[in-house]
Amino acid sequence: MLTDTWYLFNKYVKISMRMPLWSLFSLIQPLIWLFIFGSLFEYFAELPGFPADTYIDYFVPGVLIMTVLFGSSWAGVSLLREISAGTVDKMLASPASRSAIVLSRVLHSAVQVVIQALIVLVAAWMMGATTSYNPIYILLAMSIILLLGVAFAALSNGLAIMLQREEPLVIMGNLMTMPLMFFSSAMVPEKFMPEWIHAIGIVNPIEYAVTGIRSILAAEPDFNGFAMGFGVTFLFSAATLYWAISAFKAYRD
Amino acid sequence: MINIKKLNKTYASGALAVDQLSLQVNEGEILALLGPNGAGKSSTIRVLTTLSGFDDGEVTVAGYNIDSEQEKVRQSIGYVAQETGVDYFLTGRENLMLQGHLYRMKKKDIVSRIDELANYFEIADVLDTLVSNYSGGMRRKLDIATALIHRPKVLFLDEPTLGLDTPSRQSLWRYIRKLNDELNLTILLTTHYLEEADKLSNRVAIIHKGQIKVIENPDTLKDQIRGDVVSLQFKVPEDKNQIANGLSKNDFVKDQKWEQDKLHLYVSNGATSIPRLIENCSALNYTVENVSYSRPTLDDVFIQYTGSSIDASEGDGENKWWEKWAGKGGGGKWAKKWQEEQADDSPENTTDEKQWSAEEAEQWHKSKEWSEEETTQWQDNKQWNQEESAAWHESQQPQAESTEPLQAQPMELKKKKAENTQKEKQSDTTDSETSWPKNNDGDENNNQSWGNNNDKKWPDGSDK
Repeated sequence: MLTDTWYLFNKYVKISMRMPLWSLFSLIQPLIWLFIFGSLFEYFAELPGFPADTYIDYFVPGVLIMTVLFGSSWAGVSLLREISAGTVDKMLASPASRSAIVLSRVLHSAVQVVIQALIVLVAAWMMGATTSYNPIYILLAMSIILLLGVAFAALSNGLAIMLQREEPLVIMGNLMTMPLMFFSSAMVPEKFMPEWIHAIGIVNPIEYAVTGIRSILAAEPDFNGFAMGFGVTFLFSAATLYWAISAFKAYRD
Repeated sequence: MINIKKLNKTYASGALAVDQLSLQVNEGEILALLGPNGAGKSSTIRVLTTLSGFDDGEVTVAGYNIDSEQEKVRQSIGYVAQETGVDYFLTGRENLMLQGHLYRMKKKDIVSRIDELANYFEIADVLDTLVSNYSGGMRRKLDIATALIHRPKVLFLDEPTLGLDTPSRQSLWRYIRKLNDELNLTILLTTHYLEEADKLSNRVAIIHKGQIKVIENPDTLKDQIRGDVVSLQFKVPEDKNQIANGLSKNDFVKDQKWEQDKLHLYVSNGATSIPRLIENCSALNYTVENVSYSRPTLDDVFIQYTGSSIDASEGDGENKWWEKWAGKGGGGKWAKKWQEEQADDSPENTTDEKQWSAEEAEQWHKSKEWSEEETTQWQDNKQWNQEESAAWHESQQPQAESTEPLQAQPMELKKKKAENTQKEKQSDTTDSETSWPKNNDGDENNNQSWGNNNDKKWPDGSDK
C-alpha cells in the first residue's frame, strides 16, 4: 500500500509541478481575505480586551486555516474528473491498493496546502504582521495545517464518491468551509462572539486547529494549547481519512 | 479463458444491465460483444474486470473466480476502458512506468518492457512527449500498451476505436489482430460498429438488453441470413412473371423481388449462382444488361436477432448518474414519470418489437423502389453540400482550432436533409397503408447523406 501511495503521490506531484499556477490558484482567496480583513477590521484591535496588538497579528492563524479550507475542500472535484477520464477505472482494474489511491490524492492536497500556507505567511509578514517566525514553531504550525488539509481533502474525496457529481460537491465544499470558519475564532476572538456561536465552536475541529496554531505562533508559545489543537486535528483527520477510504472501497456500481 | 454462467446484474437504480448471460471465450480468440449503447456490453466487461459487482452467476477469468480471487484476476488481465485511461499530463513513458509499478513489476523489467511495447506500437519517438499532445489514435495505442505492460493473458477492450477517424481505426485493428496472431492473446472487445466486429473477431456475440442473442462466426452469421442478393437488370423485361418463374426453378433461389427493370434474387451463394442465372436467362432469350450481387451485412443479422437495427436501438442497461436524483425531493409528475420509464424496461417489450420488425422488414424491401428517387435527391443535396462545405472551409481557415462550427454545420445540413426526405416520404407512402416505422428512416437517410463522412454520422455514442 505504501509503495503504491508513493508512486501515485509522485504522479500527482509531477502533474502539479507541470502547472504550478494551477495549484496556486486557490491562493487568490486567502490573499484577498488577508488584505480585505486586515484593513476592514483594523480598528477592532483598539477595542478593549482585544487579544492582539493589531488585527492582522490576530488574523494570521485564521488566514492560514482559510488557506487550508479553500485549498483542499474541492479536492474531490479532480477525483470526479479522473473518474470520468478513465484513469481511476484503470487503477481499479489493476492490483493497486485501493487505499493508496485515496491516500495519495489526499496527501498531495495536504502538501500543496502546506506550501500555500507558507506563501500566505510570507505575504502576512510583508504586510507587517508580527507573529513568531521561529522556524521550529512554524514547522509545528504546519503540522496542524497538514493534518487539517488531509482531513478536508479526505472529506471532499469521500463526498465526491458518494455524490458522483461536481455541482452538489461544490455546494458541500462551500458548506464545509464558510460556516465552519465563522463558527470558530479564526476571525473574531471568542470574547466578541455570541454565546451560541461559541458553543458550536466546541465541536468544531477548525476551532481547535486555529487555537493550536495561534498558541504556537504566539509571542510566548503555549505548548498545551498546541498539543490540544494537534491532537484534535489528528483524530479528525484520521476519522475522515478512514471514512473516505471505506467510501472508496465501497465504490462499485 | 473466460467462463460466464448465468450472470445477472442490476444497477442500484433498478436498471437491468445483464440478464442471465452465459458466455465462454476460448484461449487465443477474439470475441466481439456487439450491441447498441446500453445493451449491457460495458456492464459485462466491468464485471469481468472486477470493476463492478454483480448479483449472481458464476464467473471465472483466466481460471480465477472473479469474486473470491479478485487479486489474481487483476494480475492476469489488461483493461482498456472506453475513456482513455492514460494520464494527459504525464509522458507516455511515465504512464507506462506508473502502470508497471502498480502491477508491482521490477523496475528493470518495466524498462525493458516499455522498449518492447514502444517498438511494437511504434510510439518510441513520442514516448517522452506529454500525452496531451498525442493524437487520438496514438493515445489509444499508448492505452493498449499500458494495459499490456504486465503481460496479461486476457485483454479487455471496451469500444477500442470509439471516436477515432477511419485511418486510425484501421491501423488499430491491425495492431489488435497482430496481438492476437503473434502473442496468442485472448481478447474480448465490445463494439457497436458492425464493421469492427466483422473484421476483427473470430466470433461475434450479439447482445441486446443484457442477453446474448447469438454467438457465431461473423461469416456464418451472415450466411444464415437469406443469403446473397443477386440483382439482374434486363433490357426489355416484357414478361416479368415468365422471367421470375424461369429463374425460380433453380433450387438455390430462395426469394425474388422485382424493382422496375431489376430483379433481386435471394440466393444461398451469390458467386456460384450468377453464371447459372445468366445461362438460364439466355436460354429463355432475355438479355441481361447488368449484374450485381451483395453479401448481407451484420446489420441484417442484427435485425434478425434483436428486431431492430443497431443504429436505431438504444438499450437501457446503463448506470445513469441522474437515477440517484431523479424524482427525489418531489419533482411532481416527473417523479412518477421516472418510475414509469423504469417499469417500461421489462423484457416483455422485446416481443412487441419483434413483430413490428417483421412488418418493418417487409417495408424495407418495398422501399427499394423508393430509394432510387431518394438517391437522386441525395445527389442533388450532395452537390449543394459540397458548395456549402467549400464555403465553410474558407470561413474555417482563420480559426482552425475551434471545433464548434465544424459540428454545428453538419447538424444543420442534416436537419435540412431530414426535412427534405420527410416530405419525399410522405408523398411516397401514401399508397402504402402502413406508415414508415419511425425509428429507421431518419437514421438511415442521414447516414446516406453523410456516407462519405463516416465519422460524423455516428451519434456521439458514448455509453455515459
